[in-house]
Amino acid sequence: MLYHDKEGRPVGRVTNIQRYTIHDGPGIRTEIFFKGCTMHCLWCSNPETIRPGRELGFYPSKCMTKDKCGWCIRACSQGGAPLVFDSEGLIAVTDGTKCVGCMRCADVCPNHAIKSWGEDKTIEELMAVIRADESFYRRTGGGVTLNGGEALVQWEFVRMLLQACREEGINTCVESALCVPMEHMEAVLPYVDLLITDIKHMDPTTHETLTGQSNRQILANIRRAFELGTKLVIRTPVVHGYNSDEENIRRTGAFLRDELKGNIVAWQLLPYRRMGTEKYESLRRQYPFEDYPTPEREVWEAELLHLAELMRAEYGLPAVAGSGSRLELDREEKGQKSDPV
Amino acid sequence: MTQIPLTSEENIARNRDAYRHAGEIDTHPLAVEPWDKEWGVAISGNTPEPSPFPRINNILAITKKTTNGFVAPDRAELVTEAYREHPGEPQILKCAYGIANVLDRSPLYIFPHELIVGCLGCDKKGAPVHPEFGLDWVVDEMRDGLMDYSEERTHDYFSYTEDTQRRLEALREFWHGNTVEDMTNAMLGDEELKGSHAGVGVFFADAYIFCGAGHLGLDYERLFRLGFGGILRLIESTEEGLNPADPDALRKRTFLKAAHITCEAAIRHVLRYAELAERTADGEKDETRTAELRKMAENLRVISVQPPQTFWQALQLVNLANCMIHMECNGHSISYGRFDRYMYPYYLRDLESGEATREQMQELIENFFIKIWDLNKLRNHVLIKTFGNGGIGGPALTVGGVDEQGFDSTNDLTFMVLDAHVHTRLPCPWLAVRMHADTPWELKVKTANVIRLGTGEPKIFNDDVAIPSMLTSHVDLTDARNYQVVGCVEPDVSGKSYGWKDCGHMNIARVLELAVNDGYCYHCTRECPRWAQCAGAGKRLGLATGSLETMKTFDEVLEAYDRQMAYWCDRQVALLNAVDLAHQAVRPLPFLSILMDCCVENGTDVTMGGTKYNFTGPQGVGIGTAGDGLSTIKQLVFDEKMVTGKELLDAVKANWEGYEALYAYVNSDRVHHYGNDDDYADRLTRFAMDTWCRHIEHRKNAHGGFFQPGAYSVTVNVAHGQNQWASIDGRKAFEPVSDCMGAVHTKCCSHDVNGPSAICKSVTKLDHARATNGTLLNWKFSPNTLVGETGRDNFIALMDEYIRRKGMHSQFTVANQETLLAAQKHPEDYRDLLVRVAGYSAYFVELNRALQDDIIGRTSLSFD
Repeated sequence: MLYHDKEGRPVGRVTNIQRYTIHDGPGIRTEIFFKGCTMHCLWCSNPETIRPGRELGFYPSKCMTKDKCGWCIRACSQGGAPLVFDSEGLIAVTDGTKCVGCMRCADVCPNHAIKSWGEDKTIEELMAVIRADESFYRRTGGGVTLNGGEALVQWEFVRMLLQACREEGINTCVESALCVPMEHMEAVLPYVDLLITDIKHMDPTTHETLTGQSNRQILANIRRAFELGTKLVIRTPVVHGYNSDEENIRRTGAFLRDELKGNIVAWQLLPYRRMGTEKYESLRRQYPFEDYPTPEREVWEAELLHLAELMRAEYGLPAVAGSGSRLELDREEKGQKSDPV
Repeated sequence: MTQIPLTSEENIARNRDAYRHAGEIDTHPLAVEPWDKEWGVAISGNTPEPSPFPRINNILAITKKTTNGFVAPDRAELVTEAYREHPGEPQILKCAYGIANVLDRSPLYIFPHELIVGCLGCDKKGAPVHPEFGLDWVVDEMRDGLMDYSEERTHDYFSYTEDTQRRLEALREFWHGNTVEDMTNAMLGDEELKGSHAGVGVFFADAYIFCGAGHLGLDYERLFRLGFGGILRLIESTEEGLNPADPDALRKRTFLKAAHITCEAAIRHVLRYAELAERTADGEKDETRTAELRKMAENLRVISVQPPQTFWQALQLVNLANCMIHMECNGHSISYGRFDRYMYPYYLRDLESGEATREQMQELIENFFIKIWDLNKLRNHVLIKTFGNGGIGGPALTVGGVDEQGFDSTNDLTFMVLDAHVHTRLPCPWLAVRMHADTPWELKVKTANVIRLGTGEPKIFNDDVAIPSMLTSHVDLTDARNYQVVGCVEPDVSGKSYGWKDCGHMNIARVLELAVNDGYCYHCTRECPRWAQCAGAGKRLGLATGSLETMKTFDEVLEAYDRQMAYWCDRQVALLNAVDLAHQAVRPLPFLSILMDCCVENGTDVTMGGTKYNFTGPQGVGIGTAGDGLSTIKQLVFDEKMVTGKELLDAVKANWEGYEALYAYVNSDRVHHYGNDDDYADRLTRFAMDTWCRHIEHRKNAHGGFFQPGAYSVTVNVAHGQNQWASIDGRKAFEPVSDCMGAVHTKCCSHDVNGPSAICKSVTKLDHARATNGTLLNWKFSPNTLVGETGRDNFIALMDEYIRRKGMHSQFTVANQETLLAAQKHPEDYRDLLVRVAGYSAYFVELNRALQDDIIGRTSLSFD
């Protein structure tokens, strides 16, 4: 999927740009979240990134009400007619005939009570933000990380953006679930320094139940990426009671050991805690995981540490709990440390 | 008894030999702790027995963690007695007899377990009284119940006996009309006072009106070279060399006489301690302790006149010299210079000769740190509200940085000092680590690990800005490379500079108010907290620079700000020079003068410009508030024409009441704000600060030097805010103005929303080198962004980048659980608190309650 702006320039549809992220790839990074996803994981915490189209989110508790504020009404190209308030604040914008989608209401709201998810950005606009922290990347082996949603839904744009980063010598990282056609992935990989991807479950049927998609394409893509010599970080969000059983983790470990020869940068077992509630509410959508009981810290901590230790000891894999450990690849690249005594 | 001191050539040769090792040692520091030892993240609270030395833990166990103390009346009586015995003598001689009497007759103490002696002539946490600067407030606060614990004063309180109160009251009449404060007020008129502490508070200068100037370090290397005996001979030989035909000779002779009196008194003071140590040893049953006390007595006898010969003796001399300075001058921030430089020759010699082990010297340093925390200073019930738990105040100690030749000078002691802080975990001394492009990785790791502990120590200073900055103040290159950090913020040449650092503050956000409102305050009514004392009440206070209502272009705004700043800088300079003259007339400092470079040779007291460098350093406060104010005006009134100048002024004058929409908008990220790596606002903030610097820098002061602008507030931004109505940046009446070099944080929200890299870039777009009296940026980190090796190394990278971009000085809050809980309660104050969530980082207040609770529960987890 490739979008264009009015001038015909290619644009990427993004939901968020965050500077100074430190856990998705080595060093200090700028992370760009693309809109649109091929999967629908039950536990997804970022529902605004799932649908491809632009959409509005409403946070009535942040709205100052139209009597006290009214910037949205004054900014609206239709004189405020499409804006619907209740006693607490703005709750909707009527679609169809009245609203022309100018988004001025979302652009002007001082409290972000209306949030426009899905801004279209040109390569140059994104590069300007990326370049702003270039000196921090150089110092830490950091760079840019493209994430989603599913970044590779917009693979053509992603490839162009990665190319632009490469030309300027900026380290590139893509975090993708890889549930995309293989040729889309292959088109992008030559410009990727590090690929972060998930194995959420090894059983195809269960995987489909949990995410809406089978894992066949994903595993095939991981094998292919490995064949092409891509540096890989594998992540497993360990959702207690869903994929946290030792059998599933062992099967995943066996896949990594046997098919990838254990030749990955790291396997990160990540804790999962439910935290999408407010976003689902703002989008007026039902959270499939609304009633998920997040286990006690001690429970998931022990679980993660146990599983990581098991995978290291029995499968010889570079398994770690959490994403805070240093990635081995940047240790050799930094080279600024003098020899320890 | 006096040993001939080393000649300067011998001393240089000795030091060269000592420093030769520095380059070799820097990557293999041999301290007591490994260079990369980790102590955890944000566990700054009480750790039982933090030191590996039982002696230190024993002393810590009986050390109070508060500044609560008691009023010690002896000093006031002894000074008064000396003044009474010498009526009609020159003021400087009265001062010399005063301090001599104090040194001769104050009570002395040697405390259990301790290896270092030195106190202020009273028990631990006692605060001596300095009537020369003002006695009325002390007696008044006792009478009004504002000195000891009360509902008005729940911390930093001072107890006293009826006897103390009676004794001090008896002295009141003698001092009435004879203090620094009285003299200052006699020199000034309404024109200077209307903007000051006595008027509306556009600027403050009150600290030095009520207490000494302080804010300096001694020339420790000179003291080590000469000893008090050598100084005494220097005074004598200078006196002999005076030409009686020189019209200045009599003045110089009087000064030298005063210097001689104080130097002899200092020698006697040290000997009193030696005698006390001997007496204590005689009565001591424990054999080990008896031996220690005899050794201490021996050390004290040596350093009473001779240069110190060992590490222990040198450290003892440093502590005693500083205590005596405090007993004389009553100033804040008597600082300890470049400790790892001047102590290093003794460290090496003792190691080589077997005089002491590394562990013994580490223990001595830790004992010394606790001694500093035992000192106390009397403060009034107002000052403690914005300066709580301050102890003696500003005892900075500097380590690291380049040497006189410009090479890195990190050595073992650099590491041992940082370890000593971790082993004592007290707010003293105020540690500063100097860094630069070639700071060794090991020192960065050590510094990061101490910072991550979350005690707020140490601060990081940047040689690559501080040194060029000093050169613009005509400091010699070798002196500039040798700078120490004084007190909170200020770079200084230890022992060679009387810098009047931190002598006043200008609220530049207030200047913007007067600039766009034709010289009037926004809210000049009886509701103003300063109405009763304001000479300008009800009238135009400043210069008529026009109103935003009628200004046609943004350039007119900038010009009005510039002219208004010139007007107020004139008045602040006049006030500070009057205080300066009052110090010279009423309270010269002959004892301090003998420990500063070239005062003796010049025959001139340090207060009158006797030492090498002489500055006056007031600070600009509210930089972000002024910058965002200008940015808001430019964007909303002139560029986008969203509101008129009149509407904006009306909203501010109404304290934003009835203008909620505009208030929300001005505070939102729809407006260009400083702190977001946004050139639009950053350039205007730079203009706001540069204008302040331009009008204050290089103005002549009254002790033979010139003014240096600073760019920081420490905590005085709160006090300025309490005197100021609402402001255009979205601040409501009486809220603090922005702190130091930081972005604006209003009750509505924080204005910096783009994270640490953006803050780093915005702040370094300001001209730190131009703020020759120092700058400060307060960083706030959530512990979980700093955990693990990645957290540590990303933190180091951020600091490296701040240094490369020429930021001068950083201090760090690593928020602990209480902070996170407070952030839940008052999220508007914590908008920039970055926390690790899960797989990504986010701003704490943007998360929901349950997740916040989760993060609060995990601050010490290291793999999340």
